[in-house]
Amino acid sequence: MLASTTLNLGSLGSQLLNSPSHNPTKPFLLPPNKPFLKSPNPINSSSSFLKLRTSVKTAVAAVDSSDAAEKEVGEAGSKNYHFVVANAKFMLDEEEHFQELMGERLRLYGERNKEQDFWLVIEPKFLDKFPNITDRLKRPAVALVSTNGPWITFMKLRLDRVLQESFEADTLEEALASNPVDLKFEKPEKWTAPYSKYEFGWWEPFLPPKTSKV
Amino acid sequence: MAAEMALLKPISKFSPKFGNTSRLIPPTRFFTVRMSSTAAPPSAPANKKKSQKQEIKESLLTPRFYTTDFDEMEQLFNTEINKNLNMAEFDALLQEFKTDFNQTHFVRNKEFKEAADKIQGPLRQIFVEFLERSCTAEFSGFLLYKELGRRLKKTNPVVAEIFSLMSRDEARHAGFLNKGLSDFNLALDLGFLTKARKYTFFKPKFIFYATYLSEKIGYWRYITIYRHLKENPEYQCYPIFKYFENWCQDENRHGDFFSALMKAQPQFLNDWKAKLWSRFFCLSVYVTMYLNDCQRTDFYEGIGLNTKEFDMHVIIETNRTTARIFPAVLDVENPEFKRKLDRMVEINEKLLAVGDTDDIPLVKNLKRIPLIAALASELLAAYLMKPIESGSVDLAEFEPQLVY
Repeated sequence: MLASTTLNLGSLGSQLLNSPSHNPTKPFLLPPNKPFLKSPNPINSSSSFLKLRTSVKTAVAAVDSSDAAEKEVGEAGSKNYHFVVANAKFMLDEEEHFQELMGERLRLYGERNKEQDFWLVIEPKFLDKFPNITDRLKRPAVALVSTNGPWITFMKLRLDRVLQESFEADTLEEALASNPVDLKFEKPEKWTAPYSKYEFGWWEPFLPPKTSKV
Repeated sequence: MAAEMALLKPISKFSPKFGNTSRLIPPTRFFTVRMSSTAAPPSAPANKKKSQKQEIKESLLTPRFYTTDFDEMEQLFNTEINKNLNMAEFDALLQEFKTDFNQTHFVRNKEFKEAADKIQGPLRQIFVEFLERSCTAEFSGFLLYKELGRRLKKTNPVVAEIFSLMSRDEARHAGFLNKGLSDFNLALDLGFLTKARKYTFFKPKFIFYATYLSEKIGYWRYITIYRHLKENPEYQCYPIFKYFENWCQDENRHGDFFSALMKAQPQFLNDWKAKLWSRFFCLSVYVTMYLNDCQRTDFYEGIGLNTKEFDMHVIIETNRTTARIFPAVLDVENPEFKRKLDRMVEINEKLLAVGDTDDIPLVKNLKRIPLIAALASELLAAYLMKPIESGSVDLAEFEPQLVY
């Protein structure tokens, strides 16, 4: 992991000048199954902290611990909704890691039978309450909305080029209401990645239940 | 983190050439070393110890193991001293790490061994080297994060716990890669490595820059390989790549944590020195990867990638990501940047060729001098290319003009 980077460059000269040996040896590459080795795979048997978690189930409760954060129920039964927002092109077309995070989260919720608490809202109506945001926003806009405030803070950290706010709403429908709009993204001028772009429409599983057909 | 896979190897001639079977040390050789290392009584003669260290150094100069100024780290994140430390992002990250998205992801199946048995000839060694370097890199992250988790427990339990959870991820990754080595009838002795490898010291500030880049570039390498192989399954010769999609999300999150660490210490981001260091670290990481990978084109071609195109893609994307936090980044999309990288590859190849000659060491060194000077001048020129002003919108001066 750690980038040996600098050091590689920094010591480049000296490495080159002081490297008489030309015979790379691998003292640490050990053949397994030899009698005097402690174990063929030290990572799994000799260091207790290096277990592969194939069957360990102890830390499962983690996701549930965020429930406290997510149930921010107000006095009249209204809930707090947290969001980050930016233009649709940024959210849905350019930031491909965003799709991966969303997919990962949906998978996990499925695996742990957790009710979905995050949605993508295209041109959300609640933006009208935030003139400070709309002043600075290209349209159409897309918001990532969740009842899990800390997660939205994390998403702000990840996406960075987004604006973050929160609001209260009595019902989910009210919170996630949106104005209809057609999305269209220009193809990137040059696409140099050795793979193709994620497909248009990847966000549909994340739209609010009612408006899932755009 | 991970993927620095290649990143961490020295640019020098230590990197073995693929296809040269002699680099696989015969088993007897391991034993001598292994025995002398752990089984040697403490009273073993000093010179013996020395030579043993030497051998480690030569065999795997990098990925490096890091250590830092733990007292300074404690100061930086002590909530008593820094009452204004913004903890919201750390709390959010802690929740993410506790969620443990990949708890059940790293489960092997019998495909691994079968695939490994089918990999023969030169490609087999390439795979071994890849697994070995990746494993060492992950393990290096494990060691550093584990220690930071331990040291910060009292002064900042939240930051400490995140470090511990990241070390959990790294250990998992390293373990998975080491299992991969067992498919090739090898295993890295990580306990031995821990004790015997030399640790490189970096001040906290530099740990942040280097580790951030390392995690993010790791993400981009893994996801690129994953997505490429998904579309071109005929190159899917070993199942470990199928795990990369989920795996690299860990790397990406680790990078986010270093973003938060730097944002909590804006003095590392907001002055001219920070800009110079940012560019320096970007350049170091990108050049190291490019030169290393260009020496290992067999691996990338073996999985159907064009090495230089793959690297440029990874560099450009990593640079875009890094521009969300570093106050300045390199203009890597300027075609001149790639031209400079390609010239460095040429010079590096000449340097390697000098090492392969039969000249006596003195002559070799004399021959190297002009080449090293040429390399240094290319590096300097790349460093001095007009940079791009960047940074997190939470800190950047250009934020008020930004349209989201």
